[in-house]
Amino acid sequence: MLALKRIRYEKSERVILRNMTIEFEDGKIYAMLGNNGVGKSTLAGIIMGLENYREHTGELYLDDISLKDLGVFERAKLGITLALQEPVRFEGITIDEYLNLGGKLRLSQDEIAEALKLVGLSKEYLGRYVDSTLSGGERKRVELASIVLIKPKIVILDEPDSGIDIMSNEMIKAVVGKLKKAGSTVIMITHREEIAMMADEAYLMCGGRLLASGTPQEIVAFYKKLCDSCDHINKPESEKIRGGEAK
Amino acid sequence: MIESNYQREFEKIAEYYEKSGGDASRFLRRDIVSIIVSGDKVIGRNTVEGVELKAKGLENGVEIWLEVKDGIQVENPIHLCTGYLKPEGTQLVLIHTKLGKAAKANFLSHCVFPNGKEFTHRMISDIELSESAKMSYEDVHFHSKDGGVTVEAIYNAHLGEKSVFRNTFHLTKTRVGKLKVEMKVNLDKEAVAEIESKVYEKQDDYVEIIEELNLNGERSSGIAKSVVFATDSSKARIINRAYGNAPYARGHIECKEIVKGGNVNVGTIPELYVKDEKAELTHEASIGRMNVKQLETLMAKGLTENEAIELIVKGMLK
Repeated sequence: MLALKRIRYEKSERVILRNMTIEFEDGKIYAMLGNNGVGKSTLAGIIMGLENYREHTGELYLDDISLKDLGVFERAKLGITLALQEPVRFEGITIDEYLNLGGKLRLSQDEIAEALKLVGLSKEYLGRYVDSTLSGGERKRVELASIVLIKPKIVILDEPDSGIDIMSNEMIKAVVGKLKKAGSTVIMITHREEIAMMADEAYLMCGGRLLASGTPQEIVAFYKKLCDSCDHINKPESEKIRGGEAK
Repeated sequence: MIESNYQREFEKIAEYYEKSGGDASRFLRRDIVSIIVSGDKVIGRNTVEGVELKAKGLENGVEIWLEVKDGIQVENPIHLCTGYLKPEGTQLVLIHTKLGKAAKANFLSHCVFPNGKEFTHRMISDIELSESAKMSYEDVHFHSKDGGVTVEAIYNAHLGEKSVFRNTFHLTKTRVGKLKVEMKVNLDKEAVAEIESKVYEKQDDYVEIIEELNLNGERSSGIAKSVVFATDSSKARIINRAYGNAPYARGHIECKEIVKGGNVNVGTIPELYVKDEKAELTHEASIGRMNVKQLETLMAKGLTENEAIELIVKGMLK
C-alpha cells in the first residue's frame, strides 16, 4: 500500500498541497480528478520524488518503507514509476533502446513488439528516434509502452490521454487493463470522464486537498455538476455543498 | 591494397580501426577507394575509375591529393585511415580534396592513435567542391587512454554554386587529450553546408572548437553545430561563427555543452555578422547540467543516475 500522510507542499509562498492524506491499495486503479492547477501533477511529482518536489512536509510510505529520503532511482527500485503528461524527448536514442533502457531490461524483440502493438504502434517504430520527429501522440504511446514493459508495482499516469486522439481511449483502456492484470496499482491523473471511468475508485482534488472520494461514476457526476464550469478554482470553501453528492 | 612489407603494421592499425567502429575489411576491397597512412608512410591505397589518388611522404607525415572527376558518383564511401602506433612523435597530414562538377562522394575517415603519450597529430584538409557537387566527410578519432595525444584538425572548404557539404568530427569513445578543431566553409550561390563536432571530454582533456560559415553566395545556407559533454576537470572553448554576406543567405549556429563534475570549465561564444540586409542568421546555445526531466524520466524507470547520463550522452553524441 502507498500511503501519504499530511503532505503539504508550498511553492513561491503559494500552498499547492494542504496536508493531504490518502492511501492507495495494491492492485487497484485510481482516478484523480480536478481542474488545472489544483495540485494533481504536484502529487505525482511528490510520490515519484522529483527534484522540484522534494521540499514538502508530511510522510510517504510504501508498505512500511518511508520514501521521504529516497531519490527517484531508489523509489523506482521499489517499483514506483511515473509517466509524465508531456514525456521528454531524447536525441539519438531509438525507441528500441529507450524501451530496453539501453539494454538494462534485456527484453526480447517479441516482448517489445507486443508492447508497441498494445499502444497501436508497429514494429517499424523500433528504429525511430525518441526525438522531435515523433508526434506528441506517438511519443505518448511510446511512454505507455515503456510503462507496460517495466511492470511497475505502482504507476502514476499523468493525463495518459493528453496528446492522443479521442478515438484512442480503447488503447489506454487496454494499457490500464494490462497493468491491472500484472498487479500494478495505477494512479491516473485526469480530467476526462472516459479515463476516470476506467478506475476502481476516484478522488476529486481542489485547492490542494481531497474534496471527495467515491466510485468514478459518483465523482464524475460531482465534477460535471460543480467543477466543469467552476469560477472559484482552488477555493472549494466557497462551495456550499459538502459530501452530499459524493462520499 | 596493402604494401607487402607493411602487412603487420596494417594489422595493428586495423585492430584499433575496428575498435573505433570501422570495418577494416573495406581496405582490402578493390571497389572501394581507400588510403592508409601509418606515421609518415602510405602503407596501402586503392582507387577506382574516375577518382585520382596521389600521395607523397613528408618529413613527419604525408600529403595526399584526391580528385573525383566531373560527374563521377562514387558508390562506396572513400575510406581514409590515419594511424600512429608509437607513443611519441609528430605527424602532419595534408589532404587536398577536389570534387568535379556534379560529382558525389562520401568520406569516412578514422584516426587511430592508441599509444600516444606525447604525440601530436596535425591534419590540414583543403576541400574544393565544384558546381553541384555533393560531399560528406565523417572524421572519427580513437585516442590513447593516457590523454597524451594532441590533435589539430583544420578543414577549409570552398563550396561552389549549388554544391552540398556535410562535415562531422566525432571524438566520443576515448580520451581526447588536447584537441583543436577548426572548420571554415565558404559558400557560393545556393550552396549548402552542415558542419558538426561532437566530443566527450574526460579527466583533464582540453577542447577548442571553431566552426565558421561564410555565406557569400545568394541563397546559400548552412548550419554549424557543436556538442560537448565535459566531465571531471576538462575544459572547452567553443566558437560558432557565421557571416551573412549575401541576399537571402541563411545560417544557424548551435552549441550545446553539458557538464558533469565540479571542476569543469567550459565556455561558448556565438558570433553572427550580417553584411546584407536580406541575410538571416540565428543561434542557439546552452551550457549546463544534464536536462533534469530527461534524467528523472530514465531514473523513474530504474536506471541509476550514471546509467541515465550514459544513455543520454550516447544518444546526443551519436
